[in-house]
Amino acid sequence: MRGSLGFAIAALGRLVAPAALALGLALTGLSGLGDQSGRSGPGGIIGAAPSGQLAPAASDLHRTKASVTFNKDVAPIIFKNCASCHHPGESGPFSLLTYQDARKHAAQIAAVTRIRFMPPWLPEPGYGDFVGQRRLTEAEIKLIQQWVDEGAVEGDPGELPPVPKFVEGWQLGKPDLVVATSRDYVLPAEGDHGRDVFRNLIIPGPVPGTRYVKAIEFRPGNLRIFHHANILTDPTESSRRLDGQDGQPGFSGMDLEIESDRFDPDSNFLFWKPGTPPAAESDGIPWRLDRGADLILNLHMRPDGKPEVVRPEVGLYFTDQPPTKFPMLLQLENDGALKIPPGDNHFVVTDDFKLPLDVEVLAIYPHAHYLGKDIQGFATLPAGEKKWLIWIKEWNFDWQGVFRYQQPVFLPKGATLHMRWTYDNSAGNVRNPNHPPRLVVGGNLATDEMSHLWVQVLPVNSADLGVDPRLVLQAAISQHKLEKDPGDWTAHFNLGAALETMGKPQKAIDEYRRVLELRPGDAIARNSLGAALQSLGRTDEAIHEYRQALNARPGDLDAEYNLGSALLSQGKGEQAAGQFQQVLKARPDDPDALANLGRAFAVENRMAEAAAEFESALRIDPQNADAHYDLGRVLAAQGDLPQAAAEFESALRINPDHASAHSDLGTVLAMQGKLAQAVAEYEAALRIDPQLATARDNLERARAQLAKSK
Amino acid sequence: MKLVEREAGGADYNDAVLKNGGSANKRSRDTLWLARVRHGWVALWVVGLLATGAGAAESAAQRVRLLDLKGREVEPLTGTDARATVFVFTRTDCPISNRYAPEVQRIYYEFASVDVAFWLVYVDPEESVAVIRRHLNDYAYPFGALFDPQHQLVRLTGVRVTPEVAVFVSGGAQARMVYRGRIDDKYVELDKERPQPTTHDLENVLRLIVEGKPVKSETTRAVGCFISDLEAR
Repeated sequence: MRGSLGFAIAALGRLVAPAALALGLALTGLSGLGDQSGRSGPGGIIGAAPSGQLAPAASDLHRTKASVTFNKDVAPIIFKNCASCHHPGESGPFSLLTYQDARKHAAQIAAVTRIRFMPPWLPEPGYGDFVGQRRLTEAEIKLIQQWVDEGAVEGDPGELPPVPKFVEGWQLGKPDLVVATSRDYVLPAEGDHGRDVFRNLIIPGPVPGTRYVKAIEFRPGNLRIFHHANILTDPTESSRRLDGQDGQPGFSGMDLEIESDRFDPDSNFLFWKPGTPPAAESDGIPWRLDRGADLILNLHMRPDGKPEVVRPEVGLYFTDQPPTKFPMLLQLENDGALKIPPGDNHFVVTDDFKLPLDVEVLAIYPHAHYLGKDIQGFATLPAGEKKWLIWIKEWNFDWQGVFRYQQPVFLPKGATLHMRWTYDNSAGNVRNPNHPPRLVVGGNLATDEMSHLWVQVLPVNSADLGVDPRLVLQAAISQHKLEKDPGDWTAHFNLGAALETMGKPQKAIDEYRRVLELRPGDAIARNSLGAALQSLGRTDEAIHEYRQALNARPGDLDAEYNLGSALLSQGKGEQAAGQFQQVLKARPDDPDALANLGRAFAVENRMAEAAAEFESALRIDPQNADAHYDLGRVLAAQGDLPQAAAEFESALRINPDHASAHSDLGTVLAMQGKLAQAVAEYEAALRIDPQLATARDNLERARAQLAKSK
Repeated sequence: MKLVEREAGGADYNDAVLKNGGSANKRSRDTLWLARVRHGWVALWVVGLLATGAGAAESAAQRVRLLDLKGREVEPLTGTDARATVFVFTRTDCPISNRYAPEVQRIYYEFASVDVAFWLVYVDPEESVAVIRRHLNDYAYPFGALFDPQHQLVRLTGVRVTPEVAVFVSGGAQARMVYRGRIDDKYVELDKERPQPTTHDLENVLRLIVEGKPVKSETTRAVGCFISDLEAR
């Protein structure tokens, strides 16, 4: 049957040319069709694949003699490199698991592999060894071309390799937690002016208490409309404030910045693109997801001609093991230098950062928009040797991704990281978003540009630094940014946060004040300045800053909370309670606010109410040692000594170094006549904190009573 | 008139075309085939054994008959009074075709009211009626579809990829193809795409037609999914 069909079609092929000629003549007056309409010529075929001819002609007569067959030669290539996306339910627009599938797209496959459009893989081989490399060899590409030229023959079924099996649903098994956006986003049939759509969707705080995430899996729902997704965590409410302002869930934007008021650098790339299986983080490098932190899905979607409901799910896989290694995402960038004149097809932007300590480079994520052409990331070692990290010779925004090294790349202290991005802002760059070209500057719109190189580094050999090596990196890179642009308020802020965490609040205050010179209305900087002042005991000044922050952004929960804490430290229980109640209106189960409300009540001697708040806090966060401790104090004040002792003991189980809990437990024991145990607790307290005066006084008293009783 | 199964039909078809090309100044009776394809489709069409050369009264173009989704025979060129007829060649699994759906519809709404007829032409012989119906519905196409499993219209027009369009002016004896090629120049190569088209080729040619201006016949290179992949091998 197949044989006779083959012969018939071969005949058809031979006759194509005269038929076309006849029809061409018949189409009266159709000039210009001549040779272009001839289906035998390659002129109109994309990529001029010989196989683009209407039907394989002479070669088809010899299909039994075809040297390259699907089963023997092509299936192994397709199964290995294409099928992960091209199988049912995945992102590829069609499946490529059978000969029939491949035959129906044979010339297409030849064309897209020849120009390396497929499989999409940007890094140049030999300039960084990455996990999951999907790049055909020249030999493989030639084999596919030959297969199609010879008539896309099936071959001997006995030579077909096993068809790959794919796991349906969650690739890493059932997640510990599956979360989704709260409302569906509807992707329009086409974007504005035909452009892709960049949308940020919010998954509100998915975890009730801190969890360590060893893997995250993104399931977009409709895979075919996604180019990539970046997942960010937002511990503040900065993204929520933008949510839904245009009537649709989320907010638009190609790139986004998450405000944060604490030093908590991102450590892991949470990046997804079609066809790349999710991977668990390396041992010791889970990432922390705090209670209340939102997940932000930064999505690059490509409208596909009909409206699509976007309902992504995220699966979280937890571990009980907190991270033991702390990588950090370093960003090289030079957006300030992006002033690309129209017509310039070779505009170079660089950034160089000298490492202040030894690191291992784990992964890399280069980013530019549509003018990006040539992307180079490399390091210069202290001795001058050049070490490539990545080279992308033809940047394509659509296929950007995070590239993980097969083996970590060691770079010693003193090595310099370099990025060298080349842009093409000429009309010859068909991807140029501006027609005609115009001056392009840095920004997060599709018509703007970016020059970012994110590098995931793990500080090594830094045990004797005495501080978290990430702080050293953060301070160094912030100072580097300020060298490029003294007006970079983000860098001032990050430097301030690093200095504050390194125990240098006075220097931090200087940096926060620089931010406020540049941005007087910056509520986060005000709030951070307040916190730094408060840590120096300058509570009145701190309260002034918190109030300024609340003027700048009424209802800012962090400022409300900090103002409450400052008032509480001044013993103003009633005012403090009002602040915490404000916070709790917005976050009814914030355990810290509940506990502080308890403390405020306790200051006002409203012990029953105080106890109730501590108990609420502990229901949500049973591991809060301070709340156990304070509840113990309230119970002791109410005369419930055994319960008070139990709470102090709970606090000490969580934090054995809680000196005050030892001390107060001693007092409760002493009050119960258990003097020997009391002495032991006081001694324990003083071992931890020799300056604890109450413990010292009480210890003497207890010893004296003990001596008397003997 | 003869009825043949498709599997055995290729050679007959070519015989007919050959006769077509070779005969002169003589109209013979149409040859009618009933072809049966894999998914139960029944395609019925006529290829005119027609006179060719200068002064020919009728062309193959005019004699095209295809089936619509209800299985009715349609003569999109002879059976119309439309000022122009646009064929949009497509297949359901071609992403570029699909992404053009909104643009094609915009052009349809611009020109349908001024007497331009539009047809989608599905070229994959393995696509069933149900699949095509769902596709039309999903992409909200407001106009009719024809099925060209034997690539009769593909050959006639010379389209190579989906999406690609062919525009004919006038109907009946005067039908003449004035444009074949891309809808616009958004796609430059499969891996190179403009953010927005700079030339709206289809729209431009239709505007000339409805404004009654002279239309120079033109072809452009379309970028998309190769129709040749759908030829039986």
